[in-house]
Amino acid sequence: MSNQLDAAQATHKDTPPSTNAVQASHAWVDGSDAPEKPLLNLGFMALTDSAPLIVAATQGFAQSQGLTLELKRQPSWSTLRDKLATGELDAAQNLYGLVYAMHLGLGGSPVTPMAVLMNLNHNGQAITLSRRLREAGVNNGKSLCEFIRQSDKPLRLAQTFPTGTHAMWLNFYLGSLGLDPRTDIESVVIPPAQMVDYLARGDIDGFCAGEPWGAQAISTGAGFTLITSQQIWPDHPEKVLSTRADFIAQYPNTARALMRAVLEASQFIELSQQNREDTAALISGRDYVNAPTDSIAARFLGRYEDGLGFAWQDAHAMRFFAGGQVNVPYLSDASWFLSQFRRWGLLEADLDYAAVVNQVQQLALYREVAQSLGIPSPSAANRHSLLCDAQPWDGTDPEAYAQAFSVGMKPACA
Amino acid sequence: MLRIMLINDTPKKVGRLKAALEEAGFDVIDESVSALDLPLRVEQARPDVVLIDTDSPSRDVMEQVCLVSRDQPRPIVMFTDEQDPRVMRQAIQSGVSAYIVEGINATRMKPILDVAMARFESDQALRQQLLAREMQLDERKRIEQAKGILMRMKDCDEDEAYTLMRRQAMSKQQKLIQVAEQIIAMDKMLK
Repeated sequence: MSNQLDAAQATHKDTPPSTNAVQASHAWVDGSDAPEKPLLNLGFMALTDSAPLIVAATQGFAQSQGLTLELKRQPSWSTLRDKLATGELDAAQNLYGLVYAMHLGLGGSPVTPMAVLMNLNHNGQAITLSRRLREAGVNNGKSLCEFIRQSDKPLRLAQTFPTGTHAMWLNFYLGSLGLDPRTDIESVVIPPAQMVDYLARGDIDGFCAGEPWGAQAISTGAGFTLITSQQIWPDHPEKVLSTRADFIAQYPNTARALMRAVLEASQFIELSQQNREDTAALISGRDYVNAPTDSIAARFLGRYEDGLGFAWQDAHAMRFFAGGQVNVPYLSDASWFLSQFRRWGLLEADLDYAAVVNQVQQLALYREVAQSLGIPSPSAANRHSLLCDAQPWDGTDPEAYAQAFSVGMKPACA
Repeated sequence: MLRIMLINDTPKKVGRLKAALEEAGFDVIDESVSALDLPLRVEQARPDVVLIDTDSPSRDVMEQVCLVSRDQPRPIVMFTDEQDPRVMRQAIQSGVSAYIVEGINATRMKPILDVAMARFESDQALRQQLLAREMQLDERKRIEQAKGILMRMKDCDEDEAYTLMRRQAMSKQQKLIQVAEQIIAMDKMLK
């Protein structure tokens, strides 16, 4: 594992002094697989995606691995990033886009070699549009496209973090309609918990965010679901469990114990309908997601309605385990996000995609941990996906994939 | 003279900080601004430094400002290359996040951060957390103990006892350890 760290640092000559100095006092525990650091600060955001971390920390899964997980709810992704980078958080729920922004030093973060330990969930996000747009006849991608092309003022659509998954789902969907999110709309960042209020006031025309915010927009009558993220990419990767590369190098047993605890919690959530319902009740608590259980439970259990009169049981609702399929940190999941960074100009030059994702995605470590729990993990490093633009994605050539989109790279003429 | 924009959107009182920065000779703009208006206000006011509460949810909006400003003449950044990472860590711990126009010398930032860190309401939570930690160390033992009590009382196996405890905890939005403590306390009382 130390080779991995060296490799990560070798590619970033301007790496700032790491946090090693603060943590050097924690010695290796020789000849034992007990966690070197039994007490961890674990960062999370108030989102239903956090369920496996909340269950792992509070329902005894961490303790049976010899760990105590101190849950630390964060007010913003930026603060989560800074605390993870400076070592105040040992590990955290994260966005693919943010982990890689930290690793590459994009946006407001210094270069921090990072590690994705495992995926936490698939699916369960949505693009919501305002009641005003529905009343103007917008009810699908085609009518949205026509509305945007005829409108003299660009629509204002919100997402949650500039390099985050929601920005990427929104951009990708608009791109699949032939719209350029950089020029055809006004893209703004709004904290997720404020989305529904802004939408109800008419300050924004729509948003892409995680649950329970989409469901709340419908139950309050502020908007409707245009499309779910699983309709954009069925079983897409969403949040991940992340830490710094130096953490794994320094505390390898702790990293494994943490992964085992979270993996067992993920398995537990999906063991029965009762467990899913109990999990929805638990995470709605004041210290966690802090939202009414009712607004969380429906979509958490796969019961969807779109606010336009359709209701369905979703075959690709948010999932945390699915026999272990969810949790594999596939290289192709990560390189998809890099391809989109490239597509939208967040990365200006071609980069060595394979080298970067191999440094960050802890596929070998994941396989080892999954195996120790008897959870199957595939030998493939990539998976095959088909997104809503009918283009297949298997991770083989991210640069060619990024270049092939009809919308992207050089900004299109408005 | 450096222009400092102070974003005021959390319950922390910034009044004293504003006064202290002004006394130190800085030009301070105090803004109570919504997340949506923040990018435009930053563009209009053209501050050299933006100070914001680390707990403000609008920090992710500032991230958008950083990315968008990358292509503009005055790029705004969170960290500069020459900054001492220890200073940033200290600032974050004391609840201050600073965004700087790139090119401003780190030494010019230090007095600003010093005043901000001293004047932002300090975070007492940290010290309380340390106390809480000491209490948590034998959690595993107590969960096992409660499980044993339950197995004896309900005449059930280990898995069943775990399931019962978890169901109770999750439906009450509690930690397993809290339910374990209740079982242990109840057992003591009934002895």
